[in-house]
Amino acid sequence: MEIMTTQEQGRVPVLVFHLKGELDAVLGQQLRQQGRDAITAGAQHLLLDLAEVPYIASAGLRAFQELFTALRGDSGEQGDKAVYEGLRDGTYKSPNLKLLSPTRHALEALSTAGFDMFLEIHRDLRDAVASF
Amino acid sequence: MSADAFLRISADLGNLDVVRRFVRENAAGLGQNPDALQALIQAVDESVTNIIVHGYRGQPGSIEISLEEAEGCMVIRLRDEAPTFDPTAAPSPDVTSPLEQRPLGGLGIHLTRHMVDELIYCPGPAGGNELRLVKRISRPPDREG
Repeated sequence: MEIMTTQEQGRVPVLVFHLKGELDAVLGQQLRQQGRDAITAGAQHLLLDLAEVPYIASAGLRAFQELFTALRGDSGEQGDKAVYEGLRDGTYKSPNLKLLSPTRHALEALSTAGFDMFLEIHRDLRDAVASF
Repeated sequence: MSADAFLRISADLGNLDVVRRFVRENAAGLGQNPDALQALIQAVDESVTNIIVHGYRGQPGSIEISLEEAEGCMVIRLRDEAPTFDPTAAPSPDVTSPLEQRPLGGLGIHLTRHMVDELIYCPGPAGGNELRLVKRISRPPDREG
C-alpha cells in the first residue's frame, strides 16, 4: 500500500495522490495523515487517483470525508447555507476534492455510501486537473 | 458443521491483508463470480475492522475466521471475545445527508449489509460475539441441449 504524490498545474496548482492497494483502515489512516499534512502545508486542491485501488472500505470513505471537510474550511454562515442548499438540490460538488478513475468496485462503494453526490469523478488526468 | 478453512489472527489492523488473502484463496465456490468474491472480501474486511476498532478498542485479543460452503452459500463466521455488540442492530446512516454533517461511524455496517445476502449475529455462549456473513453462490446456468 502506498501513496505517491505529484504536483500538476491547471488554472490552480493541484496536488495528486496516486493511491495503490486496497483502501482499508491502514491505507485510510495513511491517506488521512498525508492529506492533513498537505493541507497544513498549503494544498487547496486535491485529486485522488484511484485507478489502482481495487476497492474502498468505509475507513477510506471516512478519510475522504475528513479531507472534504478540511479543504472546505470555514466559508462562513452564508457560504454554508449555499453549500447545504446545493447539496439538498444535488447541484453541489466539492471544488477542492475530486476523484480520478475509480475502479468498478470502488465506484460501487462510493455510490452505496452516497459519496458520488458530492465528489466529482473524472476519467482523464488532464481534464480532472483543468476542472479545478 | 466443520469449517472448510480456518484462520486465527490477533486483533491488529496490520492483519487485514492476511484476512483478505485467506478469503480470496479459500472461497473457491465463488471463484466463478469475481464480483461476488470481491464483495465477500470487502464485507469480511469491514467486519474484522469493526471488531478490532470498536470491539477490542486497541486492547489485545484474537479473532477466529472460519469459512465453509453449505447449501449453495459461502458462509464466513467471525468469532471474537470482545464485549458483546450486535452490529446488525446498528441503524443505517443517512447517505443522502450533507457529507460533513454525517457521523463518522456506521458506514462499515452499511457497506457490509450491501455486500452480503445475510448477516446474522449471535452472542457467544461464554461471552464474545459471532457474526455470520452469508453470500449465495450463483452459478452460470446449465447449457440446454
